[in-house]
Amino acid sequence: MIVEPKSKRECRVTVNDAVIDCACDRLEEIAAWAITREGVRVHARSRSLGSDKVEVWVGGLPFQFLVTAVGPGGLAELTKPTSRIESGEIRAIMPGRVTSIMVELGDEVSVGTPLLILEAMKMQNEIVSHKSGRVASVRVREGATVKKDTVLLEVR
Amino acid sequence: MAYADATFPLVGVTPAETYLSIPKIIRAATETKCDGVHPGYGFLSEDASFARACEEHDLVFVGPSSDSIERLENKLTARKTMHEAGVPIIPGSDNPLKDEHEAVEVAEIIGFPVILKAAYGGGGRGMRIAHSKEEVQRFYRVTKLEAASSFGKSEMYVEKQLTSPRHVEIQALAGKRGDVVILGERECSIQRRHQKLLEEAPSIGISDTTRSALSEAAKKGLEASGYTNAGTVEFLVENTGRFHFLEVNKRIQVEHLVTELTTGIDIVEEQLSIAFESQMNVSQNEIRVRGWAINCRINAEDPRRDFTPSPGTVIQYHAPAGPGIRVDSALYSGYTVPEYYDSLIVKLSAYGRNRKDAIRRMRGALDELEIIGIPTTVPLHQAIMIDKQFNAGDFSTTYLNTFTPKLNEELARLEENAAALAAANRIISIPIKKTLPTHMSDWRRSGRPHIHRPSW
Repeated sequence: MIVEPKSKRECRVTVNDAVIDCACDRLEEIAAWAITREGVRVHARSRSLGSDKVEVWVGGLPFQFLVTAVGPGGLAELTKPTSRIESGEIRAIMPGRVTSIMVELGDEVSVGTPLLILEAMKMQNEIVSHKSGRVASVRVREGATVKKDTVLLEVR
Repeated sequence: MAYADATFPLVGVTPAETYLSIPKIIRAATETKCDGVHPGYGFLSEDASFARACEEHDLVFVGPSSDSIERLENKLTARKTMHEAGVPIIPGSDNPLKDEHEAVEVAEIIGFPVILKAAYGGGGRGMRIAHSKEEVQRFYRVTKLEAASSFGKSEMYVEKQLTSPRHVEIQALAGKRGDVVILGERECSIQRRHQKLLEEAPSIGISDTTRSALSEAAKKGLEASGYTNAGTVEFLVENTGRFHFLEVNKRIQVEHLVTELTTGIDIVEEQLSIAFESQMNVSQNEIRVRGWAINCRINAEDPRRDFTPSPGTVIQYHAPAGPGIRVDSALYSGYTVPEYYDSLIVKLSAYGRNRKDAIRRMRGALDELEIIGIPTTVPLHQAIMIDKQFNAGDFSTTYLNTFTPKLNEELARLEENAAALAAANRIISIPIKKTLPTHMSDWRRSGRPHIHRPSW
């Protein structure tokens, strides 16, 4: 990624062959920006979270990055912090009862593969995998009642 | 609630403890000396016993009579009523299925694939698609059990699954004397797992002939059902123009906004007028459908994680505005989206002179909308707005089944923009020793003469 400052408030960034112009409109706690790419201009927000962590909101989604280096020549290194979600822990999104587990230890899964059914408020909620990999551990049994955020299984 | 004249607490947390509790709602209405109850949509809006409880407590129920609801509550009897009124129905069983053997028999007669449906289900719930005899046998019992636990009654029936039909519905208002006024159709084909995501009025996929035929059928069907107040008749339309009755929604709907925008009629006002004053303020020859409206349902769901619900706190919220933009939402900066209810958080509608105009305005509105703090389905709607197929009107109920690559393309672009922004954020916050050329426009320079560098 190459970052070229154009002024005190503007930068031109080249990412994967795409040329993206970022202009800061308002420097507030959550800064307001205009991002221009291929002639189309969109709004975005950003917030510094201290040291090298930055949170940005683009097109309706939040993203977090670690900006580890912006060196001479404008080369920037960015990494996405490992969130709990990336770590492969499949957690209960709400309290309920595990009525059925559709996978076994060692099964190969991909994004969207149904893993288990969590019954909550008389509705059967299908919990699907948000990453590809293998089922590394199954932490609950069929019939178990779980609290919100309980780790149900892990995909690695 | 800040805008209401009075509020009454429904003590509890889950829907069952609150909005689904008939005694609590009746108490709330009677203790605050209400004249009536508008049930909204979802919850008890199509519950005959709730309508009856209102009638028994001298509360006007803003909707059809409890008898009417009861007659249409069972989708099998609704099918029969429609059929007898001359409205085409989807090939399927006429009576509740005795057992899985009968399910297989009917399926083999009408041909696979079929849909196993709960007679008391609706809104895309309580149904399973079966492609073979084995699947019918496998799914029959599960669907029946789910129906019993979700709807209280487990009657089942079978319907043929049509190939890539469009979902087109007709909005109607029925007066107490049974006079039915048709307010035009809505195109609701864009659905994910049978839940509507985007609606338009009018529909780009039907001819004027089909339009008239659908309106006639809806009118006949509602008259035959003795229906009153606002209601919607849903149809599945094949690309030949042939259509079949699907369901009657005996309440106001989430997407009624697009009909209001294109007809200029306030449907909720008409509902209240019919319920309390036994009259409608509109007649059929006054109805004109002008321009085009689109409604996007923005949900608190993460499109990067297969639309997993994303409840949480919206630290900052900004609604778009401008010509032709309508926003219906309870959000405000600092609001926490709860985990107990539907994930719909904003209804964003755009109205234009024509469809192209409406799409253009929607794109701008989706960009201007700010919901900071939780992931939302905005990227999905943006991806749909720029899609060639969508713009050409070339879609049916299977549209989103193959949309993932297009969504992923949009998500990848967003991630690149986000990365660029993160780097830019870092650069701008580093004190710059040399004076850089200012490529700021005169407009911007004159508006911001003092640039304060914050201490990040």
